[in-house]
Amino acid sequence: MNDLGPSYQRRVQKRTIILAFIFFLWFFILTLRLIQLQVIDHRRLHEAVTRQSQDERPIIPERGTIFDRYGQILARSLPAPVVCLIPGDDDPAAELFARVGRLKNLLNLSEKDLQKIRSRIDNRETYIYIKRKINWDQADRISQLNLKNVFVQQENRRFYPLNSLAAHVLGGVNIDQEGQSGVELQYNTRLEGVKGQSLILKDAKKRRYDWEILKEPEPGQDLILTLDATIQYIAERELEKAVREHEANWGTVMISHPASGEILAMASFPTYDPSDYPPSPLEVAHNRAIQENFEPGSMFKIVTAAAARETGVVGFNELFDCSEGKIRVAGWTINDHEKMGVLTFSGVIIHSSNVGTIKVGQKIGQDNLYRMIQNFRFGQKTGLDLPGEENGILHPLAKWSRTSIAAHSIGYEISVTGAQILQAMNILANRGVLIPFRIAGTSLDPTGFSPETLAAGSRIISEKTASELISRVFEGVVTEGTGQSARIDGFSAAGKTGTARKLDPDLGVYLASRHVASFVGFVPAGRPVLSMVVVLDEPKFSLQYGGQVAAPVFREVARRVLLYLRQAPQFVPNEKAVTAQLRSQDRP
Amino acid sequence: MVRKKLDRKEVAAAAGCILLAVATLTFHIWHQAAVIQIGFQTSRLEERINALQKDIKKLEMNRAALLAPERVDRIAREELRLVEPQPEQIIYEDIHPAGDHE
Repeated sequence: MNDLGPSYQRRVQKRTIILAFIFFLWFFILTLRLIQLQVIDHRRLHEAVTRQSQDERPIIPERGTIFDRYGQILARSLPAPVVCLIPGDDDPAAELFARVGRLKNLLNLSEKDLQKIRSRIDNRETYIYIKRKINWDQADRISQLNLKNVFVQQENRRFYPLNSLAAHVLGGVNIDQEGQSGVELQYNTRLEGVKGQSLILKDAKKRRYDWEILKEPEPGQDLILTLDATIQYIAERELEKAVREHEANWGTVMISHPASGEILAMASFPTYDPSDYPPSPLEVAHNRAIQENFEPGSMFKIVTAAAARETGVVGFNELFDCSEGKIRVAGWTINDHEKMGVLTFSGVIIHSSNVGTIKVGQKIGQDNLYRMIQNFRFGQKTGLDLPGEENGILHPLAKWSRTSIAAHSIGYEISVTGAQILQAMNILANRGVLIPFRIAGTSLDPTGFSPETLAAGSRIISEKTASELISRVFEGVVTEGTGQSARIDGFSAAGKTGTARKLDPDLGVYLASRHVASFVGFVPAGRPVLSMVVVLDEPKFSLQYGGQVAAPVFREVARRVLLYLRQAPQFVPNEKAVTAQLRSQDRP
Repeated sequence: MVRKKLDRKEVAAAAGCILLAVATLTFHIWHQAAVIQIGFQTSRLEERINALQKDIKKLEMNRAALLAPERVDRIAREELRLVEPQPEQIIYEDIHPAGDHE
């Protein structure tokens, strides 16, 4: 040791200090860099790492099933294939697009579809749908191609096994299974459930290597409707036949059970297939029973008659001179469809005399008539649990003109929906009590049925008034009046026809060539099993009256539905041979 | 050195403890393995149940489509050549007449 001189020791000491300083400097710089990464840029870098290595995806729960009142499936979600592109970081856009191009014919991809996919590839999106509505055959063929970055995955899709049946009630969903109209929209929250959340872990090349569920999805609840698929089918079939036969613009039939307010059928024509929602043109998705306002014409005389009897200003046998067949009101001439002579009050309504009804309306007075119209809930929604219901149009009393009493008495200057007029007829059918409509029955969850309580009815007119109007007026409409085409062998029915001229909005006049033909009624008259409204817009040819166009639809639908419901006739229609029998145990 | 002679009882107790410990550990390991095995089986069965439930739902859909009123009506009319009976051709048995005036 002593051989090493002091100069050597100093040199070693100096070198040690330099080395230590270098180490210290390196460590200091490293520390600064760590502080920068871990403290200063922590948030930004953490987000970048998370974005690069993790992907949070919602888990769409299974949407609830919609049933009719007997458990027939009307809408259900099932897993269906979907083809998607998951690009890696180093995959050239041109190659990815070329792979998609190989699927063009197999998936019927349009140039527009391809352009969209191209722009998403160029935007370096990490998950690109190539096509979502494909069938299992297509999925198998794509899998066999074994294309890099192209995957066949599963997602739930909405199916409607009865095709277009009850389309306007069911509505439809978009591609993400969100309700867009009908009960699919109205009960969307209940049906769709609660979305879950999954975490997908990816490596540096964005390849998925693990995943975990952050939040379990809650499946949607099932929904039971009050509709009866068979009654709905009967209504749709007869409606379509009538609309085609009379070349009407559109038509609607709505059937309810008056005592419970349950809707048994709600049909509109033209119709659409809810599997292909939205339909083209979108207008066919219009639920005409609740979303179409029209002037009801003579159907509205049920309100005039109710007001006349409830206020007591007119007796059933009171006479009205209708012999001229026309009446002038504030410069306007209103005609009857034929000269009818002198009629009783009952006869006025039974034969649908405009002249007589206007005279009745004038005796009622505008305050009483307006109050009765309001009591019958015109000008406001029926509260039916479907979206997009129209209010109808009821002008406030302050805006009534000198013609308004006359016009309202015979169903003009007021617009209603089919549902509103059926609700009004149901008040008579229920002997003066309004029972609100409903179309959703109960929701079925894993714990079982949870029945909803029925809404209580509210009295609108007295039982005596309603009963007398049925037996002395509205049964007469069907047996001897304008609604004879609605008569059903073996059953007593009550109803009212309507034939309203349509207003030309440009000319401001009512056109003699364009009508809304309608009929509203119920059967049997004593204890109604069903009530129904039929409306046809602009029937062509010579038959344009409600009694000629809509009443036969009522008869045919009611006849078939009564047979389906095992309702035996109240009286023997005729006594010819019998060859078939109906077994009560066949009831669905 | 004096070698201490082991008491037989102590040896037996020690051996018993060792045996107990080994048995406990063996049981624990067997139990863990069994639980894992059952877990796998449960998982497989749950997957099978899910698959069967999906199959049931698909079959119910097929059934609904096959029983669609439109299809039944078409088959009855076009394939089976059935026609609707006239009102006078129908007998009503064990059915009460529809409601009349109260």
